[in-house]
Amino acid sequence: MNLLSSIGRKLVVDSKRILLTPVETARDVKYTIEGVRKGEIPPHEPLKTVGATIGALLLVMILLFPVYWIFQAALSGTGASLYSANGLSLFPDEPTLQPFVWVVGDLVVPAYRISLGVPFTELAVVFNTPQLTFLDASAHGVENSSGFKHFLWNSVTVAVPTVLIAMCLIVPASYALSRREFIFRRKILFLYVLLTQVGGGLGIALLIGLYAIYVQFGFNDNKLALSVYYAATAVPFNTWLLKTYMDGIPVSYEEAAVVDGAPPWRVVSEVILPLSTAGLATVFIFTFLTGWTEFVVAQTLLGTENYTLPVGLYALIGEYSIPWARFSAFALTFATPIMLVYLFAQRYIEGGLSFGGIEG
Amino acid sequence: MSTVSRLSRRLGRVPFLDQRDRSLLLVLPGLFIFSAFMLFPVVYLVGISFTNAAPANLFAGEGAFSVLTFGEATFVGLRNYADVLADPEFWNSFGVTWLFVFTSVLMKISLSIGVALVVTNDRVRGRRLMRSFIILPMGLPAIFTITVWRGIFSSAEFGLVNQVLDLLGSGSVAWLSTRWPAFFAYNVTEMWLAYPFMVIITVSALQDVPEELHEAATVDGAGFIARFFHVTLPAIKRPVLFASILTAAASFQQFLIPFVFNQGGPARANELIVVYGYREALSFSQYGRGAAISLIAVVFIGAFMWINVKKGKLADGVGDE
Repeated sequence: MNLLSSIGRKLVVDSKRILLTPVETARDVKYTIEGVRKGEIPPHEPLKTVGATIGALLLVMILLFPVYWIFQAALSGTGASLYSANGLSLFPDEPTLQPFVWVVGDLVVPAYRISLGVPFTELAVVFNTPQLTFLDASAHGVENSSGFKHFLWNSVTVAVPTVLIAMCLIVPASYALSRREFIFRRKILFLYVLLTQVGGGLGIALLIGLYAIYVQFGFNDNKLALSVYYAATAVPFNTWLLKTYMDGIPVSYEEAAVVDGAPPWRVVSEVILPLSTAGLATVFIFTFLTGWTEFVVAQTLLGTENYTLPVGLYALIGEYSIPWARFSAFALTFATPIMLVYLFAQRYIEGGLSFGGIEG
Repeated sequence: MSTVSRLSRRLGRVPFLDQRDRSLLLVLPGLFIFSAFMLFPVVYLVGISFTNAAPANLFAGEGAFSVLTFGEATFVGLRNYADVLADPEFWNSFGVTWLFVFTSVLMKISLSIGVALVVTNDRVRGRRLMRSFIILPMGLPAIFTITVWRGIFSSAEFGLVNQVLDLLGSGSVAWLSTRWPAFFAYNVTEMWLAYPFMVIITVSALQDVPEELHEAATVDGAGFIARFFHVTLPAIKRPVLFASILTAAASFQQFLIPFVFNQGGPARANELIVVYGYREALSFSQYGRGAAISLIAVVFIGAFMWINVKKGKLADGVGDE
């Protein structure tokens, strides 16, 4: 709960700052104008500031234009031409959410018939649940909605086992590496640091070997086997991360618990783990995103039935019959939650993310 | 609790493990899974690089045992390596890869230093907000960014770059089906992928440059350019160099951009080395050759990592205690 309340506090501070920015800017502008009028500030100074700010704003807008472009493409019904009937425009002519309806498809909870037999009689109580329709795609003029929900389910069944397996491997190891002294400790740590630098590249180079082995054992196209692979690749970086986080917890807390007579496992479960919530949350997010966003291995190993979201997205660009607006909507529905989670973690689970490679 | 103590008593009886080394058992599962899924494929890859493995013979054997004999593939010694090193296609890919590393790192560094200078400039109002917006692309999944950039460079009606070119009055370019335009497109996309990371590092380096240095230089009559080269650049050199090494390694291993854009095309001209090995094995069924190429790439990546860890002092945390 400590983590949640600190996140809440930071959120409040941030939203205050955002709300107060216009007020402060206005005050600033007023002050400058008065200064210029009284002759205290030379008139070219504020002009320079305004020019620099506008230049910087333009730069930011150019850099982020692809993101804006994909948004407006998704909202325009047909494609994403910057041209339209009335010349060049940066906004879609007739904004519509139809492409998103195509992505999501029907959201229907089918009707169920539940019957409960009453004991000792022939009677039964029958409930008919109504069919719940949240979104009916065909009502919005969309036939053949995308395979998003199918891919989503595949992604969930890959990412959740990845997290579970990875956490089981990472948490004990980082505790041991942080708090215990044993043979090969330094060697293992060094190996892990070395491997955090490898990233995806080595993984792709090894993909040929991995693919051949998986086919020979017959578990290519198996989502669980893929999860185990993801968990394995997540081990070095996340173990190092969590170990560094645990290093930051003062040893005196543990000593106090030991003096109070707590056995080692209680020291871990009641001192170390609660104090490293932020680190655990970070590792959780990272391992989840490993499984959720990985493309190359999934694309190589999985068959069409088991495509995860990234592979489904890639398969879409090959289909020229899919309008660009629909592709954009699909891509955004996939990417936006990830970006929010990532940035949220980055900003608010600070400490967990402070990359401890330097201070160790 | 009794199960825990019983367990620990039993562990105490493991003969080869010293009492105090028992914690090693907490680390071993992770290490084991990692080795099974990352290091075993390395060994296996080395193995098949010495055979004529192809789907027909590699997957011919029955049962799990055939994994160890590489199916029915036959040993051909160093022939794959000799073939690869004598193949002009390999040298093309090798050259393009280094060229890509060179150009993309140059573009990434200049863009990030430029952006970082702008968003730390005293004259610019709202710097903090701009900084947090500018690193937004960092949170986007790579596959999303790259498919979107493929759309941007697309020759179809919606292709953004061609639309802008039309607007400026020059004709459109078939970006993905001509060699150097495609290479340029790779570079731009790589630059966009990597700039948030570089900007973060450069900004924090810039903020550490003491204000007095700038003031002293201004008093001495140094202009903006002179101050940049004699004060700013020396002060941020080390962190930027460090980031460049990391990002150069990422460029060297770039797989997704060529693969998603046009499979390293047109006509295999732009296959960066990782793509080349992958396609040789999985698209053209030459597992042995593909393995040899991948291993040559791994040797280079390994050398890169080694330099990173040794020169970049990344492993300092392990050394001190």
